[in-house]
Amino acid sequence: MFYRLSGVHHNSYVSESRLYRIPADRNLALFFLALGLVAPLLVGSLYLNSYLLPWLVWTAAALGLNLVTGWAGQLHLGYAAVMAVGAYSAVHAAKFGIPWEFALLIGGISASVVGSLFAFAALRVKGLYLALTTLAMQFVMDWVLTHSPAISGGSHASLQAPTFALLGQPITSDIGLYYIAFSWCLLVTVFMLNLRRTGLGRALVAVREKDYAAAILGVNSFYYKIVAFATSSFIGGVSGAVLVATFFFLAAPEQFSVTVSIQVLAMVIVGGLGSTIGTFFGVALILLAPGVVNGIVAKGAIALGLQLNVETLAHIPTATYGALIIIILMVEPLGLGKLYGNIRDYLMVWPFDQLKR
Amino acid sequence: MKEMDNNYNRRQADAKVPPVLECCGIERRFGGIVAVTGVDLSIRRGEIFGLVGPNGSGKTTVTNAITGFYPPNKGSIYLDGKDITGTAPHKVATLGVARTFQNLALFNGMSVLENILLGRHIHMKPGVFPTALYWWLARPEEMRNREVVEEVIEFLQLESIRNELVDGIPIGLKKRVELARALVAEPHLLILDEPMAGMNQEEKGYMARFILDARAERGISVLLIEHHMDVITGICDRMLALNYGEMIASGLPKEVVKDPRVVDAYIGGAHG
Repeated sequence: MFYRLSGVHHNSYVSESRLYRIPADRNLALFFLALGLVAPLLVGSLYLNSYLLPWLVWTAAALGLNLVTGWAGQLHLGYAAVMAVGAYSAVHAAKFGIPWEFALLIGGISASVVGSLFAFAALRVKGLYLALTTLAMQFVMDWVLTHSPAISGGSHASLQAPTFALLGQPITSDIGLYYIAFSWCLLVTVFMLNLRRTGLGRALVAVREKDYAAAILGVNSFYYKIVAFATSSFIGGVSGAVLVATFFFLAAPEQFSVTVSIQVLAMVIVGGLGSTIGTFFGVALILLAPGVVNGIVAKGAIALGLQLNVETLAHIPTATYGALIIIILMVEPLGLGKLYGNIRDYLMVWPFDQLKR
Repeated sequence: MKEMDNNYNRRQADAKVPPVLECCGIERRFGGIVAVTGVDLSIRRGEIFGLVGPNGSGKTTVTNAITGFYPPNKGSIYLDGKDITGTAPHKVATLGVARTFQNLALFNGMSVLENILLGRHIHMKPGVFPTALYWWLARPEEMRNREVVEEVIEFLQLESIRNELVDGIPIGLKKRVELARALVAEPHLLILDEPMAGMNQEEKGYMARFILDARAERGISVLLIEHHMDVITGICDRMLALNYGEMIASGLPKEVVKDPRVVDAYIGGAHG
């Protein structure tokens, strides 16, 4: 049902290697692309800029982390630090008078350089040790940010970002900013989708799965780990800069603290390691679920005529949201992306119930 | 058998070309344990060379020394006349050595096709920019290499499982996929570490045929590690037997398998 393999015939390798081989998948992707494009007409600017926009930017950021954690298999607990490097470099560059296009690029490249330093740790240690090393780097970065007035303006200060501009045209409208976020997310998504069908993606999976077998095929795991860290840091850096330029409008050290690192990792794990569509779901859950649950609990309490005190009202959503994450990971350890995949696989063979790919 | 001897003699005649692989006095120790010592072997172009020995006799250590995982403590290794002693595994691969593993080393989570495509890695230039600009930079290269892969898929009769995940296919096919992955790299030297372990007679027959065909069609030389003596005597031109890390016999298979020391090592003294 809906997803049908019948009638799909490929007569060239080019046709077989397209992003969406099943018409339903392609149509669905196009539908959401169109929905994203016309979203400003459909939803008010409050929803557009306080829900959709951060969702898209965080998705781009989480996809970057997914590259290094999901694809290359390197646990990374210092991703927010990398985003901070990108954000601060870009804001400083923009304040210096460099056009935003280049400022974003500078943010990405400087984040990439710092992120590659993380990679040198990754080449020495693995697994939990790597997680701890990257976590330590996050703390170092936090300290550097709060203690160097030249970068952050001091421990409790924040850095005002200059007005975002493209090709010299300042972009101040909500819709304009939304489209900036949308374009960046689209670029990263297409990159991640392409990863599934290129040598780079295969090499990263090889490094993740069995490094000795990768080596005998000529895959230099040293090199590909650095590539993974550098690329993911570039994506993270630009995402951090875009986040500051279109959402926060100012950069402060707390925006990129260790809590944020863990939150982004949670987005990736709940979404599904290595899954692009899952990352969209994962970010939505981590970022938007608390607000939604909050609303439901508050409305429900009023509807049922219950008098809940403020403390209970604050704790129920947090507990529900925590429980939701646990339930999802217990039902499907591979995350929301796999959960969607299961439904899709089921529908593909419906009404026969064997779950075949 | 007669025909095979003729082949061998013909190849003996043009022995002037440097051997594909030459190992001189290889020794590898792990702490105080001497895993392999004083091993000399030389594989000529187009030859299928058997390496046998009881479990723990150092066969896999020899291949790990050649492929750079455990560089020898003593001795040297030449590939096509070039010294490769101590070269890192991923560089040995680019020099034209491919190998399969005793306990399969396929990448789970990827399809058969993707696994075999990884074998083409040394002939491709994957990177971030080709991935970002797939349609312009990566696609032509991917398609060129896909054609090479498809040839090998056809050769090894893997068409029907091309898009299956490797996690779910039977072990006989997994071994064949691993052979395909090694073959698409177009190696000069193919090292097969027990390609027929755990196979039935029919699957063994298929595998032996594939190895012979690979040599005939692609002109590659093969270093074959096996416990099945029928396979070794059936398809190998020459062989070497190891026991406790030392060479105990080498030469023509039918002579080596009759060597009292080999019989002794394999079946025990009482038999002799």
